[in-house]
Amino acid sequence: MNGPIRRVVYALFVGMALLLLSTTYIQAVAAPKYRSDPANSRVLIAQADKERGAIVDRNGLILATSEETSSARRSFTRKYPLGEITSHPVGYSTVLFGEAGVEAAFSDRLRSRQDLAISDMLTAMFGGDLRPQSLRLSLDATLQQVAAESLGDRLGAIVALDPKTGGILAWVSHPGFDPTRIPDPAYASAVEADPTSPLVDRARSATYPPASTFKLIVAAEAIESGVATPDTLFVDLRGLELPGSTAILRNAGGDFCAGGDDVDLRTALVRSCNIPFASLAMTLGSDAIGSRAALFGFNAPIPWGLPTLASVWPDYSGDLAALAQAGIGERDVRATPLQMALVAAGIANDGEVMLPFLLDAIFDADGEVLEQQVPRPFGRAMAPSTANALTELMVGVVERGTGTRARVSGIRVAGKTGTSEAGTNPPAWFVGFAPADEPIIALAVVVEGGGVDGSGATIAAPMARRLFEYWLLGR
Amino acid sequence: MTRRGELTFLAAASVLVGFGTAFVNLSRGQPVDAEVGLSSIVFALAFLGFYWGVKALAPNASPHPLLIASALGAIGFIEVYRLDPRLGSLQRWWFLVAAGLAVGLLAILRSDGLDVVRRYRYTMLVAALVLLLLPLLPLAGSFPIKGRLVNGSRLWVTAGFGNLSLGFQPGEIAKIVIIGFLAAFLSDHRAALAAVTHKVGGITVPDPRQLVPVGIAWVASVAVMVVQRDLGASLLLFAAFITLLYAATGQVSYLGIGGGLFLAGSLAAWRLFDHVAVRVAAWLQPFDDPFGSGYQIVQGLYAMGSGGLTGAGFGLGRPDLIPFAATDFVFAAVGEELGLAGSVVVITLYALMVAAGAGIALQARNQFRKLLAAGLTFIFGIQVILIIGGVVRLLPLTGITLPFMSYGGSSLVANFLLLALLARISHEERA
Repeated sequence: MNGPIRRVVYALFVGMALLLLSTTYIQAVAAPKYRSDPANSRVLIAQADKERGAIVDRNGLILATSEETSSARRSFTRKYPLGEITSHPVGYSTVLFGEAGVEAAFSDRLRSRQDLAISDMLTAMFGGDLRPQSLRLSLDATLQQVAAESLGDRLGAIVALDPKTGGILAWVSHPGFDPTRIPDPAYASAVEADPTSPLVDRARSATYPPASTFKLIVAAEAIESGVATPDTLFVDLRGLELPGSTAILRNAGGDFCAGGDDVDLRTALVRSCNIPFASLAMTLGSDAIGSRAALFGFNAPIPWGLPTLASVWPDYSGDLAALAQAGIGERDVRATPLQMALVAAGIANDGEVMLPFLLDAIFDADGEVLEQQVPRPFGRAMAPSTANALTELMVGVVERGTGTRARVSGIRVAGKTGTSEAGTNPPAWFVGFAPADEPIIALAVVVEGGGVDGSGATIAAPMARRLFEYWLLGR
Repeated sequence: MTRRGELTFLAAASVLVGFGTAFVNLSRGQPVDAEVGLSSIVFALAFLGFYWGVKALAPNASPHPLLIASALGAIGFIEVYRLDPRLGSLQRWWFLVAAGLAVGLLAILRSDGLDVVRRYRYTMLVAALVLLLLPLLPLAGSFPIKGRLVNGSRLWVTAGFGNLSLGFQPGEIAKIVIIGFLAAFLSDHRAALAAVTHKVGGITVPDPRQLVPVGIAWVASVAVMVVQRDLGASLLLFAAFITLLYAATGQVSYLGIGGGLFLAGSLAAWRLFDHVAVRVAAWLQPFDDPFGSGYQIVQGLYAMGSGGLTGAGFGLGRPDLIPFAATDFVFAAVGEELGLAGSVVVITLYALMVAAGAGIALQARNQFRKLLAAGLTFIFGIQVILIIGGVVRLLPLTGITLPFMSYGGSSLVANFLLLALLARISHEERA
């Protein structure tokens, strides 16, 4: 019997040799692949309790910081002193729930590199700094607070920026969340399941029909291409029968724009009349409007470092009825609040759109500046003369048109309202900048459902006024 | 090895348990507390108690299986304690209980020796069947012993006495009892089973009568898989039976028939049973469903890959991310924390255990003892290959325990009984 027993034992030894081979393959050959697989939670866990660099606002006020919880284990928890108010721009960084906002976009700079990976040890050997770096944002914490307060309980977003540099001054999306509590799975899943989507950054990850604020782009194209000037006259109609359709397009309120004879482009924009802009859109054509919109950033994600939804101008060639409706920012035209803030900023900056940025500077652990943001142009959207003409029209909107509630005493404010009436949750808009002659702030305000119980004039414009007042008058 | 050397080895394993648990506590930022000393002392009591039991009741026994088991037990215990200190504190008492029962078995065998096992072979067959069927007892009712459904398998019983209730997997013990029966049965009938072959055109063809025992084993294995949904136990029992039948008769045709039936059964199971098909898919392509059916295997691979060559160190990896790390996947957990170095040590220790068991079987002069030692060695080796093979993706994953390392009282008791039987066999052969 010893022969067969020996042979079975040999077979068992062969089996164990195969175990050794397979184990060696997993732990020696394939190990780097398994170790760095993004789905391997150890990758994130390795960063979990580590110190991360601080994030401060433009004045050095702390927006995010790592607090040491145990000096023995050098473990830290992330704290966000302003909580919900800065939750969307600053974001969070967790093991279970991933990362968002600036915490995600600049995670590689904020993280501590002291995790003993071989590449890190080599860096340290050659004098590299493994300590976490800190970020200074262009945000102003107080303006951020003012924006959050003015939006109040309404769902929506406010984006304010310096039109000359592109530096974001305020970035609010409501509802927000408490980023300090995101590591708690119960809180995180509750927030995730919330039907109002508190985790969605509406300023860049949601699009809305831009409604009448889109008229700025149509007007820009008309003036720039020479098809119209602010004084060009349009026939003032009560209703415009859309070509190839029985639908009738009307002005807000359903009446004439200026009493019934003729109306110039200036008055049409100041009073936000739909019919002149619908006819203008049909005259200009889908391609011309689309190209102009693209110069502001439409039809591609804004390439500024944070994941951003593309704003959309669909191709309406051959469908005049749809083109007419799209020309007043309805139909399937969609824009992010960031996009419409860039439209206002481009007009404010003499036609040059600057690339937006949240990150102002990166510091090393000793406080030395490693990198300083340099303003970069996104592109020229129109000639300075066109921008100046549009600015005058927008000043008219605030001084005597639909935007009077955005007026600030002693300051010339330029703006444009928008009120969508389509869909179940039509937004109300205000985009604008101030002071009109030497702008230091441009903004977009969008309020979800504002078209139901009000309009851009009654709901969004007063919110914009509060930001202008604080930023220009300090109150 | 001298007696002093053997005692030093066991003492070293116990000290290793103490240092290991202390290291785990420190790496978790906890103080070195009474748990550490208690673990070390109870571990020492179990192994030294068993050692002295063997010296007293089977003084001529080979000490090697026990020494190897102590090394495996120490590594496994530290890892289980690291994964869940509550499981660890239970596990150390299971070591003591298992060692006590093993000494008890040696005491029973002291006067009449292994002939007792041989004499009661059919009683053992019935006992094994009862043990296998126990988990099918109603899940609820007034009877003190109830079946228990764990993760879709009927492998557990719960014995309730008043407020005290105890969970147990009788199948673990049944495996040892079945080997006892098979060794006795085959040593009686090996001649008859070996003789009946015909040559047809130069090929050895088995007599139909030979098919009967193989068929019964096959049916029993399939029954275990279907009724209890226990793929691992089913494979293990069938493979142990076929190899032991081959060892007893030397007839290669049994391996052929067994292999054929095994393939047919596997194919049928794969086609017919979803839980088998899911496991095969998770084995071949775990990354196709990394958060579903492939989750455990993928997490095991991540753990072992993260361990790399030298490992993270006890308590410094994250093997707790693997589901059922302390039972099915303790090998991957050790692989993460001790690295490839630790994995190689563990597999080598198992190979040494198989070698020690094989040595006892090969040296045995008595047929029954030879077959018993061989059967115990085979089932031990096959179990190790099945479970580690499942973790390292050599084989489909089957939920069976890793001897002496996985958490679990039933498994420890069964493997200590196996040690006691090997000790008794080598004692009788050397007497």
